[in-house]
Amino acid sequence: MAISGNLGGGSSPSREMAFNMKLLGAHELNGNGNVGEGISIQKTRDGRRILWVAHESAPTNFTGIDVTDPRKPKVVIQTQLPHSRVRSNSLDVVGDVMCVAYQTRDLGAKPAGFELFDISKPEEPKSISFFDCSGPHSRGVHMVWFVDGKTVHISSGAEDFEPHDPRDDQIYRIIDVSNLSKPTEVGRWWAPGTKKGDKETWRTDPGGKELGRTGYRVHNTCVWPQRPDRAYLGYIDYGAVVLDISDRTNPKMVSRWTHRPAFHHSLMPLFSRDLMVMSDESTQDGAKDWPMLVWMLDAKDERYPTSISTLPMPPVETFSKRGGRFGAHNLHDNVPVETSHCSEEIIYCAMFNGGVRIYDTKNPYQPQEIGYYVPAAPALSPAGAAQMNDIWVDENRLVYTVDRLAGGIYILETTF
Amino acid sequence: MNAAAKIPVSVITGFLGSGKTTLLGKLLRHPGMNRVAVIINELGEQSIDHDLVQTSSEQMMVLDNGCLCCRVRGDLQETLVDLWMKRRNGETIDFNRVVIETTGLADPAPVIHTMITDTSVCNTYTLDAIITLVDAVNGNEQLDTLEEPVKQAAVADRLVITKTDLADPAEVEVLETRLRELNPHAAIIRCVMGDLDPSFLVDVGVRHREASEKAIENWLGSESFVPVQGAGSASAIPGGRLAASAPARRLPKGQHTAGVDSFCLYYDTPFSWKTFSVAMEVLTSLRGPDLLRVKGLLDIEGEPGPVVVQGVQHLFHPPVTLDAWPSADHRSRLVFITRNIPRAMIENLVGAILATAASAPAVPAKADATQAS
Repeated sequence: MAISGNLGGGSSPSREMAFNMKLLGAHELNGNGNVGEGISIQKTRDGRRILWVAHESAPTNFTGIDVTDPRKPKVVIQTQLPHSRVRSNSLDVVGDVMCVAYQTRDLGAKPAGFELFDISKPEEPKSISFFDCSGPHSRGVHMVWFVDGKTVHISSGAEDFEPHDPRDDQIYRIIDVSNLSKPTEVGRWWAPGTKKGDKETWRTDPGGKELGRTGYRVHNTCVWPQRPDRAYLGYIDYGAVVLDISDRTNPKMVSRWTHRPAFHHSLMPLFSRDLMVMSDESTQDGAKDWPMLVWMLDAKDERYPTSISTLPMPPVETFSKRGGRFGAHNLHDNVPVETSHCSEEIIYCAMFNGGVRIYDTKNPYQPQEIGYYVPAAPALSPAGAAQMNDIWVDENRLVYTVDRLAGGIYILETTF
Repeated sequence: MNAAAKIPVSVITGFLGSGKTTLLGKLLRHPGMNRVAVIINELGEQSIDHDLVQTSSEQMMVLDNGCLCCRVRGDLQETLVDLWMKRRNGETIDFNRVVIETTGLADPAPVIHTMITDTSVCNTYTLDAIITLVDAVNGNEQLDTLEEPVKQAAVADRLVITKTDLADPAEVEVLETRLRELNPHAAIIRCVMGDLDPSFLVDVGVRHREASEKAIENWLGSESFVPVQGAGSASAIPGGRLAASAPARRLPKGQHTAGVDSFCLYYDTPFSWKTFSVAMEVLTSLRGPDLLRVKGLLDIEGEPGPVVVQGVQHLFHPPVTLDAWPSADHRSRLVFITRNIPRAMIENLVGAILATAASAPAVPAKADATQAS
């Protein structure tokens, strides 16, 4: 049967789309609705819930939003960056301590590192310490992973790290912050051959550079309490990497999985199921870098991850034309903190103009999409469409998602 | 995927002239039904109320209240999949329910089969309710003389007696009693000119893994059966498993509806999934066409909550395990609506398989078993 006719408005980015998800509240963050890849929720001692977000680019550093009533989010604090050629992009919260990344546009610029804040009074964040990662070949910290209160795992440059290719400037660094006032590096790891002076041949993928690669640099650096001896890295063009960090001073590669020299963004194990979820990141408008997907990997033997399926995406033919980026990006990373929901079966994804999408992976060979929400294009978005950049699911299963360019935050409930 | 994550589908059926189009027209005016996609079988009667339709020249159209309406010439499966693709693509309204109006001459079983067994459909949709309309003026005669109305009534989750204002009240009483006899698990309502609260017709199925006792009973309708201890009671079944039941009310001889029977069987001890699957496989292979409807809530060994099963004729929906038992009553219960199958035959068959299983070595767990189909 052919279907034709006016079916209710066509595929317009100006129209919200929803399936099994319902918008409870939203906030454009006082005109600073460009949010990066840092979301976390704090439960304050006076009983409030503060959503903290890092901004994708200057001038805003981070914003704290009171989401105690998710239908009425209120900005309680918004801070500014020291100049326009630095951004925060990433943050994490443990208890009353927040870790914020700083990444500069220019090599050698400052501030480049991360800063720890006391946020026991959310309206008055107080700097505890700053860990400097600046250097002649560094842009500072792109992502932080701070979930145990003692260690910050970062993707960062370093003063003493000189890559062959400036695009390979972010490496994995382990920073001990058990003394919050004195962060101390305890270990690091990089793709063999990317550092000048390495004995390995740096280009390990034949033709990798010629394929227009983004860089052999690390993106997400995650460690979960189920396996404190393992770090799970999305190492952009290099692949998804599992590291043995039982000796944190000397990490060793356990496995590396790659589908092509594309943007491997994050790697999340589903520990009880011997599975891993690997998300790409689309970085080009109009899905020019399609397919950027979320991959299900069999990890019965962690040395040999095996692709078994991808999460089904909406049609690229339609979404590539909606404006801005379309494709995989951040997952809700099962962040092991009190205010985060962790699921070994349900995967929550932010997919730029594809909105946020939820998948049931009970059958990992045939994941099912069980919910989605695509906001209407934010009024001032230069992309002309929503660009969902990151996602957080709280312990009550409310979903918080953010727009990369203009829309700010969206708070949703699921109805399945 | 949890059934609650899928789009519920209501199937409205009923013989020619039973008032399906009138009911649908009224329902679609209800504010709570503004995100509904309506699929109308082209072989049906007159088109849907023209006041509601913006244009009748297209196969799919948006009605004044925001509903989506399309007409099926071809395959229902294809239509449902296309609808979902359009929705996901942002090319339709975000409908959150589908209502299928079948032709009055249709045997509803193929539609139900599509809903419960077609993988591409089951991935997205879940059958919520089968709503059968019966014309109060002609219903008794149709039940006496035609096969389709009997089957339509037998498979229903909800029965709507229409045109009661035009019929002799005594005839309506007889019709209602016959329908209750025919299908005790379906709630019955009388209706004039399609005036009906939509809540009677929606969210009938068990859609939530944490479904309440009331929701389960509503769907299963097992409360409609009065348990009696009789032939085939505990002593007849190995393991003392069975407590049978009988219909609550009986019609005078001669007013039964040809060969159709309904009953609910209770089992006190858990099944293994393998045993249940074998029982249903044997039953469907022997008498599939006459198993008009099977619904069950099962206590399966190793499962944390009850397992919901349902089937029509020879096909069964994939089982759904609920999070927990909704009450202290953990007995398995199976509702059967059959044609020319005596209850004793099913009791004996299940009993024999249980007896065989009881004397056999340990059986595999559910994950290793074959689904009844």
